[in-house]
Amino acid sequence: ETAKSVEPAQPTPGMRSLRSARLLQLQSETVKYPEGIQSPNPALNQGTRRSGKVYDTDFLLQFKDAFKEKPSLEWDDKLKAIVGDQDGNKSAR
Amino acid sequence: TSASGPDNNGEPITVFHDKDNFNVKHPLANKWTLWFTKPPSGKGDNWADLLKEVITFETVEEFWGIYNNITNTGELPVKADYHLFKSGVRPEWEDSQNKHGGKWAYTTKDRKGVPIDNLWLHVMLAAIGETLEEENDGEIMGVVVNVRKAFYRIGVWTRTIGKAVPAGDANLAGGQGRTAEQGKEVIQSIGRKFKLALALPDTEMVEFTGHTDSAHSGSTRARAKMTA
Repeated sequence: ETAKSVEPAQPTPGMRSLRSARLLQLQSETVKYPEGIQSPNPALNQGTRRSGKVYDTDFLLQFKDAFKEKPSLEWDDKLKAIVGDQDGNKSAR
Repeated sequence: TSASGPDNNGEPITVFHDKDNFNVKHPLANKWTLWFTKPPSGKGDNWADLLKEVITFETVEEFWGIYNNITNTGELPVKADYHLFKSGVRPEWEDSQNKHGGKWAYTTKDRKGVPIDNLWLHVMLAAIGETLEEENDGEIMGVVVNVRKAFYRIGVWTRTIGKAVPAGDANLAGGQGRTAEQGKEVIQSIGRKFKLALALPDTEMVEFTGHTDSAHSGSTRARAKMTA
């Protein structure tokens, strides 16, 4: 118990993947998305400068349940300092 | 680059394949910064101290990690705002990139029964997915949601108020310049896309005002220049 509490918290596998993953090149790379996952709209991703980086809302919404990792281990403290503890306020009442 | 991380050179593995061991992430066309305005405590704090940078991100995955772990707009106190702006632009009309611009705004008639979390999410997604403007428009600076006593307001800030742009301004119109009519149409088109993102019925309106107008008149609603 005691030894465990002095060990610094470790980033989750999802946090580590987010850090080490490379940026996808949607213009030149083909991703085979799992069945049931819709690819980014190809019509939005043909042509010029921002190609491969235009995403329709339906494509983006698919990530909602697919990725829920906190940005960092310090996130909760940071959020509490900036935004405030809205849930805490409620439960304290 | 991490020795223990997933294979970075092989077949792209997305979060949809393996949320714990993916090797690619989806890049956004722009880097975005999320800001928060804390409601004043009533002890004479000035607004600049209440406006705080939360986090900057540049991928779809990062966006959802933040969205899924931050207070919903519907749970924020009155006088709070979220601002999602392109990195390097402060969400204030005094910013050099905003001072000649304006905003499209949708103001709800009430707060009760308004699906504000969903409306704000869809406007953020249209911003980061780059579907609020056409390639090379160069207009979108950021989006904002205000929580007020009797309403919510969602805004889309633009670099100009729809005027002629000389050729050679690399930020706008891909450097090609615009006539006054084209400038106005670019802003109108953003208003229509904003309305589409909000999925508003035809009976609801969004209104455009220049920042300088609203700063001088003291009210955002006083001098609507365009509607959509």
